Amino acid sequence: MCRRLALLAIAGTVVMMPVTVDAQGPEGGRGGPLPRRLGGEITAPKLPDAPAPRLPDGKPDMTGAWTGSIAWGNIIPALKPGETVELLPEARKKMAGRMVKDDPAVKCILPTPPRGAGFPWRIVITPTHAFILQEFWGHYRQVFLDGRKHPPLEEINPTWMGHSIGSWQGDTLVIDTIGFNDLGWLDGRGHPVSEKLHVIERYTRTKFGTMRMEATIDDPGSYAKPFTLQGEAELIPDGELLEYACSENNQDAPYLEGPADTRGRN
Amino acid sequence: MRMKIGFVGVLAAAALCLSGASVLAHHSWTAQYDPTKPLEVKGVVSKVEWTNPHARFYVDAKSAGGDVTTWNFELASPNVLMRNGWKRNTVNVGDQVSVTGFRARSGPQMAIAGEVTDGAGKKLFASSVN
Repeated sequence: MCRRLALLAIAGTVVMMPVTVDAQGPEGGRGGPLPRRLGGEITAPKLPDAPAPRLPDGKPDMTGAWTGSIAWGNIIPALKPGETVELLPEARKKMAGRMVKDDPAVKCILPTPPRGAGFPWRIVITPTHAFILQEFWGHYRQVFLDGRKHPPLEEINPTWMGHSIGSWQGDTLVIDTIGFNDLGWLDGRGHPVSEKLHVIERYTRTKFGTMRMEATIDDPGSYAKPFTLQGEAELIPDGELLEYACSENNQDAPYLEGPADTRGRN
Repeated sequence: MRMKIGFVGVLAAAALCLSGASVLAHHSWTAQYDPTKPLEVKGVVSKVEWTNPHARFYVDAKSAGGDVTTWNFELASPNVLMRNGWKRNTVNVGDQVSVTGFRARSGPQMAIAGEVTDGAGKKLFASSVN
């Protein structure tokens, strides 16, 4: 009921208080020109400053279509204050050799968490699993919530998105992932990973319309010390995921030029 | 033709535009296109590809001498276009259009569209590049 009222409030706000919003600029930041929307003007919903809704069991309701990720083109702006990324020599060499055309995303290959684009996504939580459904690439992540532990690392087949287990710590869903391959990119600049990568993500629906996200990257095969990234996602009221068949007409890769660490910004 | 945009679509599009995390593209556009080389092409749509990761349309532009050059324009993905009011038949073969955008660094007659103006003068969102 509360959710319905909140949605009605959003609708009312939009009708009564049109707000002009900035589109993303060419480099992915805000402040660029407005999309014309067929000659019209975008009005933005003002999400209610209401608490996160809760399920009957008291857990926060993570339902909804969300937009926003911790990082896509560059992890550095997403670092928590005071954190730094210290590449080990081999990882620095690996990153320096990467070209934009080699980005797995360019080839429509699965992203290495927490990398994510701005397309809508959902978390679907059941008593035994959580699934993160991403419109971009049309992919899913499977997170075990049934209390199991990770298998020994040497028994896990290394993959792009690894083996994930989850648990609740208060109102925060914590997702712990190991078992990655060493081919992934943390961002468009080519920050590398090794098979020693361990990612701990924290998802907290802090308000009705806000999901706060953190990810600690602990990869002693690539970085001298762990670091934590942070970001926020925003609820898309009544938003739905659409099909995205990434590879059906991918003409771009042969024409992408330049090294990833200077051109892979967006 | 005047297109009506659903209210939910407006909300979704606005929320997407508020997200600063990405440009909703699967690659860095400046790696493929040169931001220092803007262009404007006027011509007739000869082909439309309503596909991922980017929709594309091809525009035949005739020079003063009568030579025809076909430009391959990259658009946003169909999902982003739809959230900005497009339908798959918003632009059709035979339509007269004017397109602004940026040339590809390589690849002859390839470009990314920033804005499309249809034959009636209506401006259409084409990508976040403009």
